Amino acid sequence: MAGGSIPVPGGLGSAADVAATEADGATWLEHLHSWVVTVDHKKLGVMYVLYALLFLVVGGIEALIIRIQLFFPDNHFVSAETFNRVFTMHGTTMIFFVAMPIVFGFGNYLMPLMLGVRDMAFPRLNAFSFWMSAFGGLLLYYSFIGGVGLQGAGSAPDVGWWAYAPLTSRAFSRGHSTDYWALALIVSGFGSIGAAINFIATAFCMRCKGMTLFRMPLFVWLYVVSSGLVLVAVSPLTAAQVMLTIDRYLGGHFFDTQAGGSAVVWAHFFWIFGHPEVYVLVLPAFAIINEVVPVFSRKAIFGYPAMVAASVGIGFVSLGVWAHHMFTIGMTSISNAFFVLSTMLVGIPTGIKIFNWIATMWGGKIRYRTPMLFAVGFLVQFLIAGLTGIILSVAPFNWQLHNSYFVIAHFHYVIVGAILFAIFSGIYYWFPKVTGRMLDERLGKWNFWLFVIGFHVCFDVMHIPGVLGMPRSIYTYEADRGWTGLNQIVSVGAIIQGIAIAILVYNMIHSALKGQEAGPDPWDAWTLEWATNSPPPPYNFAIEPVARSRRPLWDLKHPNDPDEPLEEG
Amino acid sequence: MTTPAHGHAADSDWRLPSRGRVGMFSLILAESAIFVIFVVAYVYNIGRSTFGPQPRQVLELPILNTIFLLSSSGTILMAERALVKRAMAAFIAWWALTIALGAIFLLGTAQEWHKLITKDGLTISTNLFGTTFYSLVGLHASHVIVGLVMLSAVLVFTLLGALKPEHTEKVEVLALYWHFVDWVWVVVFSVVYVIGR
Amino acid sequence: MSTGAQREHSATASQAENAIHLPAPTQWPLILAVGLTLLFAGLVTNVMISALGVVMAVCGAVGWFRQVLPQEAHEMLPVTLEEIAIEREGRRVTRVEHLHPVAGRAITGISTYPISSGIKGGFAGGTVMILLAEIYGVVRFHSIWYVVNLLGGAGVAGWNAPTEHDLGTFHLAAFLIAIVIHTASSFLVGLLYGALLPILPRHPIVLGGLIAPALWTGLLHSTLGLLNPYFDDHINWYWFALSQVGYGLVAGWVVAREGRLKSLRDVPLSVRLGVETAEPLKHDDEGRR
Repeated sequence: MAGGSIPVPGGLGSAADVAATEADGATWLEHLHSWVVTVDHKKLGVMYVLYALLFLVVGGIEALIIRIQLFFPDNHFVSAETFNRVFTMHGTTMIFFVAMPIVFGFGNYLMPLMLGVRDMAFPRLNAFSFWMSAFGGLLLYYSFIGGVGLQGAGSAPDVGWWAYAPLTSRAFSRGHSTDYWALALIVSGFGSIGAAINFIATAFCMRCKGMTLFRMPLFVWLYVVSSGLVLVAVSPLTAAQVMLTIDRYLGGHFFDTQAGGSAVVWAHFFWIFGHPEVYVLVLPAFAIINEVVPVFSRKAIFGYPAMVAASVGIGFVSLGVWAHHMFTIGMTSISNAFFVLSTMLVGIPTGIKIFNWIATMWGGKIRYRTPMLFAVGFLVQFLIAGLTGIILSVAPFNWQLHNSYFVIAHFHYVIVGAILFAIFSGIYYWFPKVTGRMLDERLGKWNFWLFVIGFHVCFDVMHIPGVLGMPRSIYTYEADRGWTGLNQIVSVGAIIQGIAIAILVYNMIHSALKGQEAGPDPWDAWTLEWATNSPPPPYNFAIEPVARSRRPLWDLKHPNDPDEPLEEG
Repeated sequence: MTTPAHGHAADSDWRLPSRGRVGMFSLILAESAIFVIFVVAYVYNIGRSTFGPQPRQVLELPILNTIFLLSSSGTILMAERALVKRAMAAFIAWWALTIALGAIFLLGTAQEWHKLITKDGLTISTNLFGTTFYSLVGLHASHVIVGLVMLSAVLVFTLLGALKPEHTEKVEVLALYWHFVDWVWVVVFSVVYVIGR
Repeated sequence: MSTGAQREHSATASQAENAIHLPAPTQWPLILAVGLTLLFAGLVTNVMISALGVVMAVCGAVGWFRQVLPQEAHEMLPVTLEEIAIEREGRRVTRVEHLHPVAGRAITGISTYPISSGIKGGFAGGTVMILLAEIYGVVRFHSIWYVVNLLGGAGVAGWNAPTEHDLGTFHLAAFLIAIVIHTASSFLVGLLYGALLPILPRHPIVLGGLIAPALWTGLLHSTLGLLNPYFDDHINWYWFALSQVGYGLVAGWVVAREGRLKSLRDVPLSVRLGVETAEPLKHDDEGRR
């Protein structure tokens, strides 16, 4: 084990350079064509992530517009109507066209590599799913131009990302803006369902030899659970959007209270999607942390089966908690109590996970490189986000704080503080694999510290105006409310985060062109994606690898001390 | 040489589930979730229509139609068995019978809708009952249509002699979808015509 | 360098000798996606766009169908076989040499107390705590119901500012709620205690009798006003802390009596939990080394 070079499943001892590289002589247009018609999971994964990052910038600009508007009391930076559009688009964009595609992108790129195979189960469905997701986003944003409908009303959707009835009925939402919202989500919903089917089929049917289910990296397991949730949670959203479209186009009465329909049913349907959706996004974040924490702690993950069980447990429990978004809507005491308890139940499997990550780090030889910094940030912030979540799950407390900025701060803590931090961790971790070059570590540290400071300045403080009674979705406030200073701090924090993301974008472009060469395995990791070149060849592995334990690459690097197979088969 | 040796035995017979089946089961799960939402919307809104025709006044039990659709689940099973045995004539006969039964079901639904629209004046916008009824039954009917198109495609290719033994699994996956469409009808039937009436 | 990896590769190397089948690139899924999107976009723009979408979707579906049937279209990609040198930054992997003679790996948690002993201790301590609290109630207010009502009184509807006489009489609701609260918190504190035991395994009585009551009393002292204001008004903090210490001492004593587990690796569950243990190595130990 003295040498620095090990034959691994991607290579062979005798180097035989057979093919001329395909890039030679290809024009710019041919390159573009090869990306457009590709069914390669790696190219699709990269396109997912780039598309999501593009929308991250768009959604981030919308967030900054919101924060500038709220910087001063009685501000008129944007009108009330524009403000409604901006926060609706911000929410919809960030959930459906940033978080979902970036998560799918990571899964697409990494899952076959981790499983030691050459592609996803359904490569063409994969391409179809990507394009559906992408065109959904374009359709939504086309509403800015094409949304002028009946009576000149319209433009972008302005009904909030939850789009409660009856505001979405034809009487109250003239023009086509709400239709754009519903149709864009139907289109991207097909994409999400297709991607989820593909992930599940890949995990179960596309594994290299020896890769039993309980040897799969936890990353893959988390994606299986997350995809299962997409199947049972995004489909209801599609169904609800179809109902909304029937109401708006065919004069249906699903959510028409005057004809006996119910607006509350929309809220139920939306949150039956909406709450599992949080887990659809956070489980892939767990997946990234599950890979980053062991590698940078130099220890195998603690409690693998418990992690799998906890993930599946979260998946099931999360299907029964949706109405904790609706305590103020007026449910019976029994349902309130049920949803309080089921929500608190989520804390148990989540706690198991946090303890397992800490136990993995405990006694490890931790390397605080940028991916690990973001992972540690994730751990701390996810814990706090979970705690405010438990606070909000108590129905009487929720009655006080519902639809206040406390709730906004809570779920941004989850989505930014946990999910986005994990995604950034993943970007820093796998960027070398995708591009063959390391992200700049110094810029990475700047990115991390600015982002973590900006995050806490913004979202820690944001809890306070919520407790003081500032409701969400208001476009301005009076000066005598005592919210002014707090809002200004929050806005400053938002701007700091904007700078941090600008550094990330610069770092990605700069390092992709001029970064330090990474080599196949810059982090001394143990999963199979590091056993092939960076970037991997189109076929991933020249020779399909064989897995004998949960850390196949560890076994290859340490032939004298392999992980024992934990079970036969 | 310390590489654990007992892994090798497992490698030689490394079997993975069929991706077609797993994919179809996943699709069926997603479809079930969509149906659940429409069924819940139907059940929740039973008896809430404030005006217009009520289910009891206009709906008739489509018993014959139901028998046709459910028996097509059996005929497609017979077709699959014939295909595995490569008894192509029997396969074509059973498969064509399946398509015929599905088509009869669809005709029955069309007839029912025609009667509801022209005679009873119930459309999707008439009242809440109309909205939920047409969307749920229509959702199911659209699945029947998609299924019939695909079944017919298989029939055409079989008649052209293009159905090779290696396609057997694809046919079985398609049959899985048809079974799903059939058994969803049991739910729709009991909700719309039994409970809802 | 072991040759094991190379040997098993040579078995499968023949497949990779010349080229690898990969799914051929295709435009049809894209065209189907454009078609479906236009179909929906037509609803908000013009019906002709929907018509165009339908045409494109049908073309895309048919094209896709022909791509996968009768044979899935493949492209042959020539393989470049090259040596992949695994470069590692900072290869300073610290090997723990023979901490455990059998495994050659560090074993976590050589010996500790089982969590169940914490729960048992919690219930035992809870019983003692009742006695201590009752002593306070009987001596000071001459009623066994006083402390019960303090604990459960928050659950009695319509109780505003109860007098001492109120607190001294029996209320069924308060009694039931007090039992539920006390049982649940005895269980949960015991569980927490059991979970914390491995941190301070040598001194369960110190942990249980001093540190835990101090933490717990401090936490309650600062938050009780929010949780249960009546309790907060009437509580005697010194006696409360004393009964906490009584709880902790008894719980710690029970835990100490339970005895410690020899080693975590004797617990099959820990093996299942993926703690790195030497268990599977035991059997073929002689043959391998």
